[in-house]
Amino acid sequence: MTSAVVVRGLWKRFGQQIAVAGIDLELPAGKFIGLVGPNGAGKTTTLSMVTGLLRPDQGSVEVVGHDVWRDPVEVKARIGVLPEGLRLFERLSGRELLAYSGRLRGLPGAEVDKRATQLLDVLDLAGAQHKLVVDYSTGMRKKIGLAAALLHNPEVLFLDEPFEGVDPVSAQTIRGVLERYTASGATVVFSSHVMELVESLCDWVAVMAAGRIRAHGPLIEVRGAAPSLQQAFLELVGAHGRDAGSDLDWLGGGAR
Amino acid sequence: MSAPTVTPVTSVFVRLKLSLLRNGLRQSSGRRAAYVASVVVTLLLAALQLIGLIALRGHAHAASVVILLVAVLALGWAVMPLFFPGGDETLDPTRLVMLPLRPRPLVRALLAASLVGIGPLFTLCLLTGSVIAVAHGTMAYVVGVVGVVLALLVCVALARAVAAANIRLLTSRKGRDLAVLSGLVIAVGAQVVNFGAQRLGSSGLGELDPAADVLRWIPPASAIGAADAASEGSYGVALLQLALTAGVLAALIAVWARHLTRLMTEPDGSTLQAATDTAVRQSTGLARLLPAGRTGTAMERGLRYIWRDPKTKAAWVTSLAIGLIVPVFNAVQGTGSIYFACFAAGMLGILMYNQFGQDTSAFWMVAMTISSTRDAYVELRARALALLLITLPYATLVTVLTAALLDDWPRLPDALGLSFALLGAMLATGAWTSARFPYSIPQEGYKNVAPGQVGLAWISIFGGMVAAALLCAPFIALTIWLNVSANGEDWRWLLLPVGAAYGAGITALGLRLAAPQTAARLPEILTAVSKG
Repeated sequence: MTSAVVVRGLWKRFGQQIAVAGIDLELPAGKFIGLVGPNGAGKTTTLSMVTGLLRPDQGSVEVVGHDVWRDPVEVKARIGVLPEGLRLFERLSGRELLAYSGRLRGLPGAEVDKRATQLLDVLDLAGAQHKLVVDYSTGMRKKIGLAAALLHNPEVLFLDEPFEGVDPVSAQTIRGVLERYTASGATVVFSSHVMELVESLCDWVAVMAAGRIRAHGPLIEVRGAAPSLQQAFLELVGAHGRDAGSDLDWLGGGAR
Repeated sequence: MSAPTVTPVTSVFVRLKLSLLRNGLRQSSGRRAAYVASVVVTLLLAALQLIGLIALRGHAHAASVVILLVAVLALGWAVMPLFFPGGDETLDPTRLVMLPLRPRPLVRALLAASLVGIGPLFTLCLLTGSVIAVAHGTMAYVVGVVGVVLALLVCVALARAVAAANIRLLTSRKGRDLAVLSGLVIAVGAQVVNFGAQRLGSSGLGELDPAADVLRWIPPASAIGAADAASEGSYGVALLQLALTAGVLAALIAVWARHLTRLMTEPDGSTLQAATDTAVRQSTGLARLLPAGRTGTAMERGLRYIWRDPKTKAAWVTSLAIGLIVPVFNAVQGTGSIYFACFAAGMLGILMYNQFGQDTSAFWMVAMTISSTRDAYVELRARALALLLITLPYATLVTVLTAALLDDWPRLPDALGLSFALLGAMLATGAWTSARFPYSIPQEGYKNVAPGQVGLAWISIFGGMVAAALLCAPFIALTIWLNVSANGEDWRWLLLPVGAAYGAGITALGLRLAAPQTAARLPEILTAVSKG
């Protein structure tokens, strides 16, 4: 099995805090891969380093066989990214943003416009294509970001929390596009802390907590004997068996 | 059952306001210093104007001056909430929607809370000083005290009423965009005040009297007018003016209360705005005139942002305005020199600085497409070209205009050459510092530098400007030499092509040096521009 992404000994510190503490990971090509973990587990930091947006303190990253830091020409043309917490050029309209993004990647103008029209249609953004992105809702932003990431037909797509704050209708649209994309042999790597979503979408998962990989492999293996990924996850990150106890016993019906 | 209903709302709000003021001290040391400094400066100003107004006592035009001052102050109160919507959190009705409050006690509580703060204190000092400046006799002071209270309340209520009436605009994106442009209004206002002060300096305070005669009937200046009228024994007039002020105060509070009730019971404007804004934007055809590939694409976005991004627009308008005002105003007043026209080139050259900071964290979209030094070079060159598209004709126009106003045509080639050389040096140093010392420009509010990056911004801008001046030194030396040497005038025309070539050469060199820095530092630049 070929690997889409190979990560070795990846470290990142921010001052005293260790965000990513030595990750080794091989992500198989052609799969729908979920990177799961609680908030603050280091998912965003890891994805930023893997996509070349953040320089690691140590370690190496290879995407489709090319080193991200030594061979950016090969890597950047082959990946699409939808980061979390970074802006888009929001004073462009949706269509202008796609035109900008595609042309900046060196695609011919006519081709960019053709693909943009199709993406806007499929993602249900055609009606809002001339509106400024700054006036878009969260779901629309995620969709236009996804369109920009798909425009140059990348081999590997990295999505950081693509469903965060997205309404069910938009989420279903995004899902449909991604499923069609992976069916053609491309790889999707996405991060999320919504286990149900990961369980229903992914065939391969990596579980992160406190800057480390706790488990990785095909979904069935990681889930193991647990009834759901949620249960398996809670056991892996050691959050199992914590309950509210006798505190808050005043909360609820009865005497106010 | 529950205690809060017993506690008067007013005291809760006043205490909330006091804790917010106190919490100004509980920030990072840099912000705390800025907060303390602003408070101290305001208090000092308040004390100084109080002393100044007391010194004005007995002056023939004292009444005109103070009435005008109070009117301007009231105007400030009216305009302030439009430009500083986030200024006072206790007064933001959208934060109170979920609380079980009735309109009448709420208005009383908010009014009381609005009186706590540096602004009201400053206003109180100015109003007190104004009364002291004009009041003569016990009756005048009695009227004055009532007047001060009424005027202060009118100012505060005015600000609240304006804010509540416009909250729909202020909470929408367009409103926030508008707020960013407020700096310009203040700058232009300062120019007007400056111009007015110069006229007063030449023709005396008597110029104010006609305006003051009208304003003394307009609240809240009418309250001070009442003190003045009482000093002259016109008690009837004084009473009328006080009554007028009180009437306006009541009207303002009624307007405010009505808007407040509506705001608390209707959905807020931020969601409505987004749903109804269906402005259709079509390509302007601009793209077809620009070169293909990254150059045209980056230029097009840069040019669009000048119009669409409020921060970029504010920077451009400031540069364009100052670049025009300094040489042209000086030329009109006869104090100028044609070399002042270089201001236009210099001011517009500043816009090349911190290019990637202007992108904000959206810079990742650019970073993802730069994989070689060549890409970085083309990107930087495109940004310089977009700038030149406006700057070059503008600097030329300003220089020609200045030459025409001064009737100094022989020196036009020098000044143009110098402008071009300076522009080139600014573009070169701007490109290099953009790569080397990038910093974030916060998109909300008025700050142009994110907290903690002020040092970086200084290095970037001032270091760059000094470097640009040094880079221009050889050309400046040549200009001076041709101006002082015996046959220099015959060769002066040469300065235009030489300056243009020098500027172009330096720009090309600067871009060449900046490109590898940019390509190698993409993650570092992204981190630097993503703060705030």
